[in-house]
Amino acid sequence: MRKHSSKPSATEVSRRDFLKGSAAASAAVLVSGVASHVAHAAGSDTIKVGLIGCGGRGGGAIRDFLSAAKNLNANVKVVAFGDLWLDRAKGTMGGLKNDNNFKDRVDCTDERCFGGFDNHDKVLAAGVDAIVTAAPPGFRAIHFPAAIAAGKHVFMEKPVCVDPWGYRENLKAAEEADKKKLTVVAGTQRRHSKCYQATMEQIHNGAIGKLTGGQFYWMGGPVTHNRGRGKDMSDVEWQVSNWYAWCWTCGDHIVEQHVHNLDIMLWAFKGPPEKCVAVGGRQTREEPGNVWDHFAVEYEFPGGVRCASYCSHWPKGAGRVSERVVGEKGTSNCAGNISGDKGWGYKGEDPNHYVVEHEDFIKSILGTGPHYNEGKQVTESTMAAVMGRMAAYTGREISWKWVTQTSKLKLGPEKYEFGPYQPEPVAIPGKTELI
Amino acid sequence: MTHRPSLASAALASGLVAAGAHAAGSDTIRIGLVGTGGRGTQDLINCAKSAPGVEIRALGDLFKDRVDGCFGRLKQDQGITDRFKVTPDRCFHGWDNYKAVIECVDLVLLCQPPGFRPLHMRAAIEAGKHVFAEKPVAVDPAGVRHVIETARMADEKKLAILAGTQTRHQADAVETIRRIADGAIGKIRSGACYFLTGELWHHDRKPEWSEMEYQCRNWYYFTWLSGDHIVEQHVHQHDLLNWALQATPVKCVGTGGRQTRTAPQWGHIWDHFAVEYEYPGGVRIMSLCRQANNAANRVDTVLVGSKGVAYPARGEITGANAWKYAQEVPDPSVAEHKALIESIRAGKPINDGKRIAETSLTSVMGRMAAYTGRELSWKWAMESSKLDLAPPKYEFGPVPVPPVAIPGQTELI
Repeated sequence: MRKHSSKPSATEVSRRDFLKGSAAASAAVLVSGVASHVAHAAGSDTIKVGLIGCGGRGGGAIRDFLSAAKNLNANVKVVAFGDLWLDRAKGTMGGLKNDNNFKDRVDCTDERCFGGFDNHDKVLAAGVDAIVTAAPPGFRAIHFPAAIAAGKHVFMEKPVCVDPWGYRENLKAAEEADKKKLTVVAGTQRRHSKCYQATMEQIHNGAIGKLTGGQFYWMGGPVTHNRGRGKDMSDVEWQVSNWYAWCWTCGDHIVEQHVHNLDIMLWAFKGPPEKCVAVGGRQTREEPGNVWDHFAVEYEFPGGVRCASYCSHWPKGAGRVSERVVGEKGTSNCAGNISGDKGWGYKGEDPNHYVVEHEDFIKSILGTGPHYNEGKQVTESTMAAVMGRMAAYTGREISWKWVTQTSKLKLGPEKYEFGPYQPEPVAIPGKTELI
Repeated sequence: MTHRPSLASAALASGLVAAGAHAAGSDTIRIGLVGTGGRGTQDLINCAKSAPGVEIRALGDLFKDRVDGCFGRLKQDQGITDRFKVTPDRCFHGWDNYKAVIECVDLVLLCQPPGFRPLHMRAAIEAGKHVFAEKPVAVDPAGVRHVIETARMADEKKLAILAGTQTRHQADAVETIRRIADGAIGKIRSGACYFLTGELWHHDRKPEWSEMEYQCRNWYYFTWLSGDHIVEQHVHQHDLLNWALQATPVKCVGTGGRQTRTAPQWGHIWDHFAVEYEYPGGVRIMSLCRQANNAANRVDTVLVGSKGVAYPARGEITGANAWKYAQEVPDPSVAEHKALIESIRAGKPINDGKRIAETSLTSVMGRMAAYTGRELSWKWAMESSKLDLAPPKYEFGPVPVPPVAIPGQTELI
């Protein structure tokens, strides 16, 4: 148990109660040989964390995580860093160790920094209780199931897959996480916003009547990865270093970015759409890569309810990143405002949900807050985006049933190693095959 | 050429309603076609058959081979033998063909590529002739404003302008819109419309053609002539939206591009657009159009209300007041001409000019928003946009090939 020289606060008492209770309750689980967090809880209340994916988002996510730990006064240590490139793992570790805000929560040396395509396995084997994973999306459906198989709690950045294969892998892992009582929180941070939560409660309680439609937007400037190709750099190394530019690593921007807005759609409608039709293309991008720069998808829900999705990465274009749900009796931006018969505005606080999501993650692990397994939820939201991309790439109308059950699409090389790999050319509707 | 006082001069001289003078004098309405392509030729046949006493008098096209071809085909058409009164000397070609056709007729069918429509409509109304104008009637805001002024002139002269948005004369759609107006689906909350279809024709370049001739023969693929397919084709659905919502959009935002039809033979137009139109009261409608082969096909308009969903082009309403149009639907492409002729004979000429200009601007602003990536307001597009795609001079010779629009680079004018 955690040692405190001062008198524990009420929260801490309740946490201690939890830890005691959890240790007892988890005896059965221990018998089945799973759940490292239970051992953690029973033994020490230090949550040992590994970071997988030490790029910009990984560095941001681990800082948000540590800020959350600080806010909660939780005993958390980052003990391992993994990235495809070892120097980046070490660099992120070094950055954190030099950061006065976080250095006391980093307990790691070069020995627990790992590179290579199996860096996640090494992080998972480095005595961690939990991982924060922010590797490029194309790897998530490998890292997440591996972490669950290893009995680790997972915070994973969105999106969580780039193809139906990854969707199915993740769903299995999410189910396994349930069985193992592991915490899974996703980087779809709007779900952890007090303002969004309160608004969604209003919507679900009928504030705008039956939902009749909606609009979801991520129209903004380009995200461009165009790092030069170093001498002796293989196809795969160069592509992963420019992961946003390639569908197999990124999922395309409808998946990588617009998933945030589509997640709100699935939240409001309490599930995935039935089918979709879409258009899009690559009209402005000049850098190497095969991702598009705009999509427009119509998602159809049961009962013929249609939602419009627009995303673009265009320079100097109209900027619009928002969600809007339309009902019989009103309209909501899902973020604190309802107009119509029952006008309403959220007046409460809305603490930074990039940090709150990590507080919820930590509290779920410790049992001091509600238990979270967002694995299925974020996998479904990601799949809605993947389905939109597939409909746009091929020009075909696609059903949820087909794409989740029948589609054979699995992107990326057969084997993950630095070597030659020629990704699909830029998709051309009517030519690009629906797989 | 003119065998009796033209309607215009009668009206001008007596101050009478032009159609009234006509009706009093002779029951025959002389019609002529400007733009002898597939659409125009069919319009001409439909118009001739739509009512008794309609005579086809003249044909015109930019190209001699086209007008001769049309003449040959119509001469063979058994269905209109008694109405076909065109002689070779009333077949006109060249840039001024429309002027000659207008002189020969009471009602002119304007079916050259849309970019010419404002010019031709003005000439017809100035000459005191009734007009059937294929949709769309303009490809840019300058053209839209020009047509609105022409429509005002037509009102003054009591001349008809009927637009080829035939859904307005499609019985099941008319009834659906009437029911929507009566509240069958409650308040309209959102909606969608689609024109997702395949690729169209193309004419291979011939060495003797100038660039101007090439562009005019392949007019569909040049925005100054066709407006791009969102304007040329999808305008039908936009007209339905404006009709059902009894308004024009407040603003729009759009995306699109040229993803499948990238070879130079396809000029510089795009192959897909996605536009969101926002109507008064925050009603947002998604508009999707695409011309690509081996892709999903869908042509439809859906209006979602608080009490149900309406599909005007299908004559169907679902929800609290579910209903389906059960009677036969007469061919709307004939019905529109029947209505036009009747209105002229009754001395109450239909004037759709302003409405079809506004509908055309709806499509045009969607294209402009997508080409530039910018959000546009109706007010700005209608009042402030300076976009005028017409070439400085209509003559055969070298003209620039416009670049494919690139959002972020293409200027908002």
